[in-house]
Amino acid sequence: MDRIIYMDNAATSFPKPDAVHDAVRDFYKVNGVNPGRSGCDLAVAAEEMIHGTRKRLSAFFNPGATTDPNRLVFTLNATMSLNLVINGVVGPGDHVVTTLLEHNSVIRPVNHRVLEGAEATYVAPDAEGYLDPEEIRKAIRKTTKLVVVNHGSNVTGVVQDIAAIGAVCRDEGVPLAVDSAQTAGVLPLDMKACNIAFLTFTGHKGLFGPTGTGGICVADDAEIRGTIYGGTGVRSAVPYHLEEYPYRLEAGTQNLAGIAGLRAGLDFIEQRGRQAIYEHEMGLFTRLQEGLDGVKGVKLWGTKRLDARVATLSMTVENYDASDVGTILDVEYGIQTRTGLHCAPLIHEHHGTVPRGTIRMSVGPFNTEEHIDTAIRAVTEIAADRPA
Amino acid sequence: MKVGELDIELDQDGFMKAPELWSRDVAFAIAGDEGIDEMSEDHWRVVEFIRGYWQEHDQAPAVRLICKEIGVGVRQIYKLFASGPARGACRVAGLPKPDGCV
Repeated sequence: MDRIIYMDNAATSFPKPDAVHDAVRDFYKVNGVNPGRSGCDLAVAAEEMIHGTRKRLSAFFNPGATTDPNRLVFTLNATMSLNLVINGVVGPGDHVVTTLLEHNSVIRPVNHRVLEGAEATYVAPDAEGYLDPEEIRKAIRKTTKLVVVNHGSNVTGVVQDIAAIGAVCRDEGVPLAVDSAQTAGVLPLDMKACNIAFLTFTGHKGLFGPTGTGGICVADDAEIRGTIYGGTGVRSAVPYHLEEYPYRLEAGTQNLAGIAGLRAGLDFIEQRGRQAIYEHEMGLFTRLQEGLDGVKGVKLWGTKRLDARVATLSMTVENYDASDVGTILDVEYGIQTRTGLHCAPLIHEHHGTVPRGTIRMSVGPFNTEEHIDTAIRAVTEIAADRPA
Repeated sequence: MKVGELDIELDQDGFMKAPELWSRDVAFAIAGDEGIDEMSEDHWRVVEFIRGYWQEHDQAPAVRLICKEIGVGVRQIYKLFASGPARGACRVAGLPKPDGCV
């Protein structure tokens, strides 16, 4: 089996646009020095590229707002971003509200905060996976310092009404952190309109950058303590880490090559159009869901709605372990999926798909109708041949 | 699990805690636990390939590679090891539990 049909875009988008590969190689070859750490031309050019990308991402998440682009900080991934937010906002005695939909990049740092004296409430979604903003309101206490919500589920693709949740947080005076790992670059997310205090993102999914890129956009009126300390390249004589952004949350040399690639990913989105990418993915997703829905032995999990979602589908095949179906799809059909609990165990518990999880197919911009039809045929054949 | 004079300790998922104690006799015992009545030549080809690959690379081989090297289809492996290559075949081959996102 030489041909690969890649349907694991919720893990990372693949392939990346050629321009991203070119940008990583070309920028690193010509300007691969330590950005901003000296006044030489190469270092200045490297810093300009980083700052330019910072400004573009800041505008991407804050359309029309006059925010300080330095409040867009780079990290290595969404997990690091969420750790910085949770560890920088929630302390012993504080309360945090989050949900059963979250990835371990939220669950684990929150639970570690709890070990150190914080308290946490996990709000359950409805049977389809959608949150009721009023349930979040009910969970907020006087000691609540943060609400953390995932915009799009990496398991079932459900997308939450962040504007409504943001309105609740505004009413209650609690900062809202949104994990946009599954939606940044795919769905619009306006921090100001949605009252988002901290928007965390990864670069290697819908933004088409390389792995090792991500960040946080911090709203003008939000506060977060720095929890990593080190070199900033400026004011080296100061014995403590700098308070101003982006240094407050950035320490050490940035991923220069990765950020150059991320910038090229933004170019790709602009050229192709975010909405056009989303419509392409959802067109294929609709074909996939319709093709699998009703296949004997196949169960789809989460919502079947086509609005308020991204192009990610979770399923199980009766009498088959999810990982076995994934193996057969891989080896016999060349279809790459992701099976198991997807690092999001609580939503699997909620849906009743523990301990073995589901088979997840997630559509990307380079998938085609032929890929989808092959996937439908493959799952149908596997289900027809399932163990008794 | 008692195999001859040896006490073979298994983890909660049935994988060997001390893979260096593996032997054909241990494989027979674990195979019995997997519901395999008789270890055929095809069983041994899969087990020996997995074991050899693990000894060289410190990880289990991809199922695709097993199929290619042994010359069997993936469904045939499931017929040999009902709980699949990642569990059944790796258990019989004496590997520790493979990592995976479950």
